[in-house]
Amino acid sequence: MYALRRWWERYGIQTALVTAALSTALFVRQTQGGMLLETYQLITRPFQGNPAQQDRLATAQAQELQQRLIELESRNQRLEELLGFVSAKKTKGVTAPVIGRSADHWWQQVILGRGNQDGIQVGSIVLSPGGLVGRISNVTAHTSQVLLLSDPSSRVGVTISRSRFMGFLRGKAANRAVMEFFEKVPDVRRGDVVSTSSFSQLFPAGIPIGRIESVDLNKSPAPEAVIELTAPINYLEWATVYPNSANLGEPQLISPPVPTADETPAPKATP
Amino acid sequence: MNMALEDLFDRHPISRPLVNWGVTVISVLLCLLVLPMRLPGMELAGIGPNWLLIWVVAWSIKRTMFQGALAGLILGLLQDGMTSPSPTHALSLTLIGVLTARLQKQRYIEEDFISVALIVFGMAVLAETVTAIQFSLQGGRSLMEIWTYHQFVALSSAILSSLWAPVVYFPLNRWWERMGLIEQV
Repeated sequence: MYALRRWWERYGIQTALVTAALSTALFVRQTQGGMLLETYQLITRPFQGNPAQQDRLATAQAQELQQRLIELESRNQRLEELLGFVSAKKTKGVTAPVIGRSADHWWQQVILGRGNQDGIQVGSIVLSPGGLVGRISNVTAHTSQVLLLSDPSSRVGVTISRSRFMGFLRGKAANRAVMEFFEKVPDVRRGDVVSTSSFSQLFPAGIPIGRIESVDLNKSPAPEAVIELTAPINYLEWATVYPNSANLGEPQLISPPVPTADETPAPKATP
Repeated sequence: MNMALEDLFDRHPISRPLVNWGVTVISVLLCLLVLPMRLPGMELAGIGPNWLLIWVVAWSIKRTMFQGALAGLILGLLQDGMTSPSPTHALSLTLIGVLTARLQKQRYIEEDFISVALIVFGMAVLAETVTAIQFSLQGGRSLMEIWTYHQFVALSSAILSSLWAPVVYFPLNRWWERMGLIEQV
C-alpha cells in the first residue's frame, strides 16, 4: 500500500497527463478531427476569399461562351419538352471557399469552409468551373472534407462522350486520372471528352470530367487512357456543392411522349 | 517575462507543470492547424512539410525511447483524425520517436540546426516508406504506382521538413531547456 502511494506521488501527475493526452488523441481520431477542423475554419475565416469576387474575374470570352451555352441549353430544353421529356429541375448548390488542402501527401483532399449548417451532407458532389472535383467524405458544422477525383482511392464510372464507350476512372495524383475501359478495343482518341456514366452510383450521369491525354490500348488486363481533369484541382479556390441527385446531369424520361394538338406548350422567350 | 514567470512559479509551485504542459500542447495544436495550409514558400509541387514529424523529432531528441514512442503514438492518432484512419500514421511516428530517442544525439553529433535538419530528413524518408509499405500490404492500388509516388513524396517531404525543422525545434528546445533548468534549481 505504501509502495503504491509512493509510486503515485512520484508518477501520478505524469500518468494522468499521458492518459489525458492519449484519450484526447483517440477522441480526435474517432471524430475524424471535427473539432480541429472547426478551429481551423475559425482561424482562417479572415483569409477566406469571397466567391462573388472570383466570379467577376471571369474573362469576357468565358462569359460569351456561357451565354451561348445558356442559349443552347434553353433550346435543348424546349426540344425535350416537345418530345415529352420532363425538364430537369435546377438544384441550387452551395458555393464554398477552399480553406485547406490535405493534411498528408498520400491523400488528395480539400477542406471547404461550409458544413452541414449550410446543407452539405456526406456524399454530396463537388463541382467547380471546369467540371467534377470530387465528393464530400466528412462534414462538421462549418467545414467539410472533399475526397478529390485525383485521389487513388476514388473510383468513378465514366464514359467517352463521343463514342459512348464505358470504363471507370481512378485517381493518379495532381490533376491526372487513369481510365480503364470495359471493352478490349474501345473507340477512343486523344482529346475526347470524358464524363460520368449512368453506371456511376456515386455521381449523377453526364457531368464533364476531363479530356483524354494519351491512350494505351496494349495495356493488360484492360486498355487504359490517361485523362487530364479539366477542373483546376491544384489551384482550386472555391467550389460548388450539390446534393447527390440524378437530375443534376441529364434530364430523365419520366412519361412516354403523348403529343396532342391543344397541349403544345406556348413558346417562351429565350433569354 | 522571465522574471514574471519565475515569480509565478515561486508563488504557486503547481503552476510550473501546468504552464510547461500548456506550452507543449499549444505547440502541438499549432502544428496540427498548419498541416492543411499551403503558404507560399512552404510548398513543393503541392507537398508541404510534415510538421508533426518535426515535432516528434524535436521532442524525442533528448528524451527516452518510451517518451518518444508515446509522443509518436499520440500525434499519429491526431493526424489520423485529420486525414483518414487507415493506414494509420501512429505506426510511422511511433517508430520515429523511438529511433530518434535511440540516436543518443548528444553523444555522437554536435548540437546544431544542421544535425537536427539531417535527422528530420532521414526520418521523413523513413516515415513515407512505412506509409508506402502499409499501402502495399493493404492492396487496392498497384505496387508500381505506390512506389513511384513514394519516391516523389519522400524526397519533397524530406527536403521541406528538414528546411523548416529549425522553426519548430529551436523555440521548443529553448523552452524545454529552460523548464528543465528551473526544475533542477
